[in-house]
Amino acid sequence: MDFRFSDDQLTLTESVRDYLAGTHGPEVLRRLDEQGNRDPAIWQGLVEMGLTGLLVPEEHGGLGLGLVEAALIAAECGRACLAEPLVDTAFVAVPWLVRRGELGDLAAIAAGERLVPLPHVLNPWVADGSGQPLQSVDPLRNLVMFPAAGSSDPYLLDLGALMSSAQLVGLADAMLHQAVEYAKIRTQFGQPVGAFQALKHQLASCAVAIEFAKPAVWRAAQALQDGGESASVHVSHAKVTAGDAALLTAETAIQVHGAMGYTYEVDLHFWMKRSWALNGAWGDRAWHLKRIDQAVIGGALPIGPEHTFA
Amino acid sequence: MDLTYTPEQQAFRAEVRAWIEAHVPKEPLVTLECREGYDQHVAWERTLASGNWGMVTWPEAYGGRGLDLIQWLIFEEEYFRAGGPNRANQNGIFLLGPTIMEFGTEEQKARFLPPMARGEVIWAQAWSEPGAGSDMAAIQSKAVRDGDHYVITGQKTWSSRAAFADWGFGIFRTDPDSKRHKGLTFILFDLNSPGITRRPIRQLHGDTGFAELFFDEVRVPVENCLAGEGEGWNVAMATAGFERGLMLRSPGRFQATAKRLVELYRAHEAEASPAAREAVLQAWVQTQAYAYNTYAVASKIMAGGKIGAEASLNKIFWSELDRMMHRTAMQILGAHAELKRFGNGQINQWLEGYIFSLSGPIYAGSNEVQRNIIAERLLGLPRVGAG
Repeated sequence: MDFRFSDDQLTLTESVRDYLAGTHGPEVLRRLDEQGNRDPAIWQGLVEMGLTGLLVPEEHGGLGLGLVEAALIAAECGRACLAEPLVDTAFVAVPWLVRRGELGDLAAIAAGERLVPLPHVLNPWVADGSGQPLQSVDPLRNLVMFPAAGSSDPYLLDLGALMSSAQLVGLADAMLHQAVEYAKIRTQFGQPVGAFQALKHQLASCAVAIEFAKPAVWRAAQALQDGGESASVHVSHAKVTAGDAALLTAETAIQVHGAMGYTYEVDLHFWMKRSWALNGAWGDRAWHLKRIDQAVIGGALPIGPEHTFA
Repeated sequence: MDLTYTPEQQAFRAEVRAWIEAHVPKEPLVTLECREGYDQHVAWERTLASGNWGMVTWPEAYGGRGLDLIQWLIFEEEYFRAGGPNRANQNGIFLLGPTIMEFGTEEQKARFLPPMARGEVIWAQAWSEPGAGSDMAAIQSKAVRDGDHYVITGQKTWSSRAAFADWGFGIFRTDPDSKRHKGLTFILFDLNSPGITRRPIRQLHGDTGFAELFFDEVRVPVENCLAGEGEGWNVAMATAGFERGLMLRSPGRFQATAKRLVELYRAHEAEASPAAREAVLQAWVQTQAYAYNTYAVASKIMAGGKIGAEASLNKIFWSELDRMMHRTAMQILGAHAELKRFGNGQINQWLEGYIFSLSGPIYAGSNEVQRNIIAERLLGLPRVGAG
């Protein structure tokens, strides 16, 4: 029993965080917003980091890592509000294809040459696919109606929900950071507004929500990786807590920004809108609560102090 | 990350389970907040100690088993699974014990820790004063050096367990010219010393758990001071960290409550509201999240890490979670919630628990103070009044 990440996992995560912080700041999001939403150079950078092949087995040209590493990187994608379809293709589609034994596209995916937007019956559309375009509130999310019926495979749903949860905790972290930094520099009544307890306490509540959402996400990643019977419940747990933490933080962050928060000029809106989108994707709150309900009240899952890791 | 128990950890769990099931009181004890219940709880401490279960993480030399924090969590899970009573000794084993372990001399460790582990000496804490609650640095009670003694004069209040306990600990102003955080000293004292008057305070539920303490020139030997004169604030902050952080409220306690809440809901499913149903699910969601986080913190500490202001995140989470779960139970019970005993004579433990849960966001540093700590020390926001 050791609920910590390995040094390798932490080093990988930090390198991706640093890379995205250095190459993918808010100014990039603004440029993309004005110039077509996608930039091959950004995608190429992710490919060169090896991220498209993170979960591709080594014999197919990937790094052969697992869902815990992918969840850590997905959180960094959320933190950077990355618009490129890395998570959907590399962290959702790849493990699904591997599970199904469909290995033909893996080398091309690892090389960054193929996107695999997978539709699920719970998502009536996909991001970065081809078809009838739809406009998302998230200006950087390229949605299209998917022409055929989606899959109803629960493993695909679990992968999508897990990786959405991971992005949501990263998004929440970033929004809290933005709100805190703004509260330090915006002065009113002769002092930074962040010195007022009315704001401090709201921001502290966000920190609490995020702190206790993250371990649920990591636990779900490990559970799905291990393939235990209860993994789906833990994915739902992650989705509910991460989604709640992100929405609370989004609403708090806009409040802390005051009228500036209501403008297109402040960066926050990119992160907030992504949070809204991911909160509903891959099973919304009600759907995941229902699954927890069946396990906890329905009795399929053993509960109580001795069943922490059931 | 490895979220499985080793065979040794599983064997340890089985050992704890067998012992606890054989020894745990068959009927719930009378509340700790009255003489009769206090005596029952102290007797239970001594039963625990007879099995060497007083505080499993302590070194064997001090009455423990030298176990690690994961084993401690397993012990706690089994303890609450079996419905183990509240620990009369919590101020000692969870707060003062770790503090002595960190700051005490070898003599102090040998003198105070073994009787604490054996449940022979029950400790009260004495932080707050009438004018120093959330603002603990406003402490005025004095300890004046006189040869090899301190002479303590002043008043403490809201002292948990002090109505019945044997010894107390707190911080006192040893430098009369000092202000705020400076000039304070952490002192351990015998509650039966001449000059100490205890006045039990009747609490919300009608019983007397905490007390006011009046000190009238109470002489305490200087060797009862922990970590040196003037170091009191730092020592007290470490104790408060233990209190808010890992030890005081282990997840098993709340997981047991969540399980009972699920069972209560199932029994009242027909008439309970949809809102209650979602709250019941939240009880599982949040208690599990709390457990994972605790395992993560324990793993970090075992690898040599420390927790600081993060302890405040913990304290807010468990105290508000506990209140939410008991509030939900009260709503599910509906008209029956007000009854101290149900028609079948059973004590309404949800009512007692709800009343107690209201103190959680207040004791161990109010949640408002915790939110200030998070905002200032974790998020880096300016201190109140900063320009």
